[in-house]
Amino acid sequence: MPGGGQCPDCGSTELVEDSHYSQSQLVCSDCGCVVTEGVLTTTFSDEGNLREVTYSRSTGENDQVSRSQQRGLRRVRDLCRVLQLPSTFEDTAVAYYQQAYRHSGIRAARLQKKEVLVGCCVLITCRQHNWPLTMGTVCALLYADLDVFSGTYMQIVKLLGLDVPSLCLADLVKTYCSSFRLFQASPSVPAKYVEDKEKMLSRTLQLVELADETWLVTGRHPLPVITAATFLAWQSLQPSHRLTCSLARFCKLANVDLPYPASSRLQELLSVLLRMAERLAWLQVLKLDKRSVVKHIGDLLQHRHTLVRKAFRDGTAEMEAGEKELRGRCQGPEQGKEEVASSSLDLPEGKRPASPTPLLPPCMLKPPKRICPPPPVSTVTGDENISDSEIEQYLRTPQEIKDFEKAQAARQAARSVSNPP
Amino acid sequence: MARAPRALSRAQLQLNSRASPFPPPLLTVGPPPMEEEQTYLELYLDQCAAQDDLAPPGSPLLSPIVPDDGYIPNTSNSETVFNSHLQEVKGASGHFSSVDLSFLPDELTQESKDQSVIRSKQDIEENCKTQSQQSRLSLPREQDMGLGLINDSTLSKSHSQAYPGDADSVQPSPEKPNSTPLMSITPMTPVTPVSECSGIVPQLQNIVSTVNLACKLDLKKIALHAKNAEYNPKRFAAVIMRIREPRTTALIFSSGKMVCTGAKSEEQSRLAARKYARVVQKLGFPARFLDFKIQNMVGSCDVRFPIRLEGLVLTHQQFSSYEPELFPGLIYRMVKPRIVLLIFVSGKVVLTGAKERSEIYEAFENIYPILKGFKKA
Repeated sequence: MPGGGQCPDCGSTELVEDSHYSQSQLVCSDCGCVVTEGVLTTTFSDEGNLREVTYSRSTGENDQVSRSQQRGLRRVRDLCRVLQLPSTFEDTAVAYYQQAYRHSGIRAARLQKKEVLVGCCVLITCRQHNWPLTMGTVCALLYADLDVFSGTYMQIVKLLGLDVPSLCLADLVKTYCSSFRLFQASPSVPAKYVEDKEKMLSRTLQLVELADETWLVTGRHPLPVITAATFLAWQSLQPSHRLTCSLARFCKLANVDLPYPASSRLQELLSVLLRMAERLAWLQVLKLDKRSVVKHIGDLLQHRHTLVRKAFRDGTAEMEAGEKELRGRCQGPEQGKEEVASSSLDLPEGKRPASPTPLLPPCMLKPPKRICPPPPVSTVTGDENISDSEIEQYLRTPQEIKDFEKAQAARQAARSVSNPP
Repeated sequence: MARAPRALSRAQLQLNSRASPFPPPLLTVGPPPMEEEQTYLELYLDQCAAQDDLAPPGSPLLSPIVPDDGYIPNTSNSETVFNSHLQEVKGASGHFSSVDLSFLPDELTQESKDQSVIRSKQDIEENCKTQSQQSRLSLPREQDMGLGLINDSTLSKSHSQAYPGDADSVQPSPEKPNSTPLMSITPMTPVTPVSECSGIVPQLQNIVSTVNLACKLDLKKIALHAKNAEYNPKRFAAVIMRIREPRTTALIFSSGKMVCTGAKSEEQSRLAARKYARVVQKLGFPARFLDFKIQNMVGSCDVRFPIRLEGLVLTHQQFSSYEPELFPGLIYRMVKPRIVLLIFVSGKVVLTGAKERSEIYEAFENIYPILKGFKKA
């Protein structure tokens, strides 16, 4: 728009007002020389504040995005940075958040839920890349309640139709074990307690695999199992010095929170190891208990595959066998004899361990708390006559009504007296 | 003895429609043709020659009232003809003692057993046939109409989806009229082996139903006049009423709508809802009983073996959700029928979201072979 200016280079009067990244400039349309440059203006800068503006602000892409969504996206990026995730994760998580925000149910949700949604998006991204991030960690970072988190998580997975793979146990073991502060001597960690990281990792992995095989992991939170396995691995690497240390003290030393179920997982793992020890020839004579078996964990792990097979018969096979007995009544005694014979074959006489226990999850091994009686067969048709007396029993007599009203009034009076206005 | 089955005309089949599909018993309608009986019998025995694992004659569930003891082995033979899954079932016959037969009408334990047994068996046989043909995803409904189980049109609707597994336990009492030899002899060539029937019946634990009493209610008055009512308007805007028989709880709203929960069967739910309506009536409101509808049914059962949930979530990703950090069970959302199943490592299964009893049974029959695949870890 020619306005009386002249280009200093070529002298033409064809000056056009153009803007370059929202910076208005007067440009000569003949030679392209920039005659004047305007000040970079943004929504909140004035003459004195010549501040650098980020690309995202200058392009106006955030104008369509609501402020709460912007806040949420910023939170997603912050969370990814805190967790030190690769940059590709950040983009994926942001994309998930934006996708979720398109749904009206999410847009109208409470701030608490939007906050938790940030964690859900990051968690889903990590799961899809097999990055071992637990929900507990995310909730702790967001100061969120696990119940709220779980509800939002299930909702968003369903809403976005996502396929979220399971938590990768091996990776979680590596990450979790690395967080134990036991690999260097420090004032709180005596020298005898320091352990080599690789050795501990490999042994913990083997113990966790063993737990998985013997039904200790399915249906349970994975972290307490790993804590118990780490503890056992650490103890077994130098049992003479470490048997005196308890699980709680171990976690305190290692600067790791002790999850509540870890002690019962520890007991379960020890009982599995004891069963296996009963099948190992040179350990049978030793009459091990839950403390002394720790010294031999190395041996047990070395032969764990054969030992598990020998120590535990297949739980289902044994149940089927039991039923066949019930049914046939002819094969039963023979089967029983067979089992006894085989078990006595691989042992010296007089040293027969208990017959193999079934390989079942602990919840199936415990006796049922209460036996539910089968419900009586009911002959209700739904259209029977309802007797008046039956209904009368549920109604108050007029006298009772009066008494009840009196009592209620008295209670109201007492309440208003005790809470003076 | 002819190997090929004799072709019965349609009329004959209809005539014999009341009869069981099993070999002709000693008591028959009309003059019993002993020779015919024998040939059919031999046919059965030949066909069953390869099958083992017969039920013990002494098992009470498998052989109800049997007039002629000597007949039992033959009848059990015949069972295996139709229900070749019996082997499977017998494998689980230990379960029979705990099998829930409550869905079958009580007449089975009383004198008029034979009729219902016949009808249920006919139904079962058709079920098995159709099961094998239709890969068990949708049991035909028209059987409900045909089967008028004694006394109960309502019962038959819910019960006539007679469970093949259960069929074995309601096994033949030989006091049946003429059999339908063709239906029994014709070798059914199942597309999918009938051996996948599980023999376990899910037990109903809870029924939620709604009904419209069609009149505005004064909740304060109801709470005052009824002993079994609680009303706390600050907490919830409905009266919570309970009755002892059937043991249920109802939420009664001031609009006249009512929700009834806690019943163990559809009929009990209906009876309970009627009792609540009667209570409201007695309190002086012109309550009616409109639009009774079962909204949700919850069932549970036990497959008796541990299940590798991690494996199940891998193979059935699109239906399953397993988050051990949140919940110990696997949530399986079945598409057909639209039922949600909670599957636990101990083998216990909870099925919910059904509007009909048959949906629960169908869902369990669909999930059982999948779970069996994860039996041997």
